[in-house]
Amino acid sequence: MAELKRYRYLFEQMVRRELRQKYQGSALGVAWYIVNPLVLMAAYYLMFGVIFKVAKHADYPLFLMVGLVVWVFFSQSLLSSAPSLLDQGALIRKAPFPRETIPAAVVTVQAVTFLVVLGLVAVVTLAIRGSISPAILLLPVLLVALYGFALGLGLIVSVLHAHFRDVAPILSAALLPWFFLSPIFFAPGDITDKAAARFAMEWVNPIAPFIEAIRRVLYDGHAPSLAALVYVLAAAALALLAGRALFTRLQGELAVIV
Amino acid sequence: MRERLEDSMSARTDLAPGEIVLDHASRAFSVRADRGGTLKELLLGKRAGGPAPIQALADVTLHIPAGQTVGIVGRNGAGKSSTLKVLAGIVPLDSGSVAYGGQLVSLLELGAGFGRDFSGRENILLGGALHGLDKAQIEAKLEDIIAFSELGDFIEVPVKTYSSGMYVRLGFAIAAHLDADVLLIDEVLAVGDEAFQRKCEARIAAQVDAGATLVLVSHDAALVERTCERVVVLDGGHVVFDGSAREGMEYYHLQMGTPTADHPQGTIA
Repeated sequence: MAELKRYRYLFEQMVRRELRQKYQGSALGVAWYIVNPLVLMAAYYLMFGVIFKVAKHADYPLFLMVGLVVWVFFSQSLLSSAPSLLDQGALIRKAPFPRETIPAAVVTVQAVTFLVVLGLVAVVTLAIRGSISPAILLLPVLLVALYGFALGLGLIVSVLHAHFRDVAPILSAALLPWFFLSPIFFAPGDITDKAAARFAMEWVNPIAPFIEAIRRVLYDGHAPSLAALVYVLAAAALALLAGRALFTRLQGELAVIV
Repeated sequence: MRERLEDSMSARTDLAPGEIVLDHASRAFSVRADRGGTLKELLLGKRAGGPAPIQALADVTLHIPAGQTVGIVGRNGAGKSSTLKVLAGIVPLDSGSVAYGGQLVSLLELGAGFGRDFSGRENILLGGALHGLDKAQIEAKLEDIIAFSELGDFIEVPVKTYSSGMYVRLGFAIAAHLDADVLLIDEVLAVGDEAFQRKCEARIAAQVDAGATLVLVSHDAALVERTCERVVVLDGGHVVFDGSAREGMEYYHLQMGTPTADHPQGTIA
């Protein structure tokens, strides 16, 4: 831990560097990160809100948008963590520094973008829905838990991918069905009345409670259930512990294999 | 502190700043082309076939007291760079241990990790951070580093516009200002023009005078003789000679079959 603290400035420098490289030379810069969820939102709204007319939620585009930005942050964090250690191979082979810095910087860059986009979505949602309530105070807690959850999983996929190059392709294949099974364009109650199926959709999929809790605060203007709060905090702690343990175990050979 | 460091190496407090201890250190490397594994190999059991691993370090024991200047020489593939990577904590050992006291700075490649789109000044901040310095520590040295690099106005433009000479000058300038107790250098002193090379050597000599330990890997025999009091000759991962620089370089020249003035034609006794 002392080692990580000593290298805090390195972490800061890496985040800055990534952010700059990401938005340099693109005319719209950070705006691209809202374009992607906007296009998805438009597509789902067209399909479920206009064509099939199955959407049961008022202001359906806003309902979609909150879930989508959470999902985009989560999936982009994993997809960009996976190859991150290989991308920084030149550094790893030549300088001793805590290797966690690399995936942590990558996830943090995604988090910075996510906060900007979520900020915009939140303002519009709260204004149109009038859903501002004291529950909004829980939002920072949910966001910190989401960041911790993504960071823990980011550590896992980055160090696994450095050892086994199949991890990134498996991940990108898995994220597509995972997206459709997550309560992004629906709420679990819309799909099924069966308790078991509903339970699986709400609690077995670990990203579902994050999406639903954040949507409950922003879109519904209510506090999430205590169970959801406990779940997201526990999921974050578990992901971080597992990520740290696995990373520590597998990082020794990084300079040799990347 | 990372666990990897805890099991094979650490900056120990019971060692004097600058002291280095390698104890029965061994390390082998797989020389297969596909070093990263695939899940298929994991599922189907360990990889079969391919060449046997190369023993880069074979039971190496070295004690380097604080302030000593040590040259590590040997033919290509003798284990010189591996020794430095082990000392730097970049590559873990298979067995044995390595430890040092104080602050270690490794110059294995000048300018490793420079962001090409960033200015020289910004890369100084990143380079310092990579060696564990915080913002205030780096900013205190910033002007000295810029002056030493002799880059002038180029310090404000992206390093992708630099010539290769300018690139390594900046890299050296950063590393030379990090206040090391242990300085590890791998063949990186041949940077810039002759005047700048002399300046680099003088800077390292000044750090040695101030009490730093120097471990230098080089094929430049004259440089090793000028800079080092002790020479370690490696061959196939083994220490085959360890002693004074003069005798060490004689041994090295005999081993390489390169005659010197003292030994016009000789064989190893």
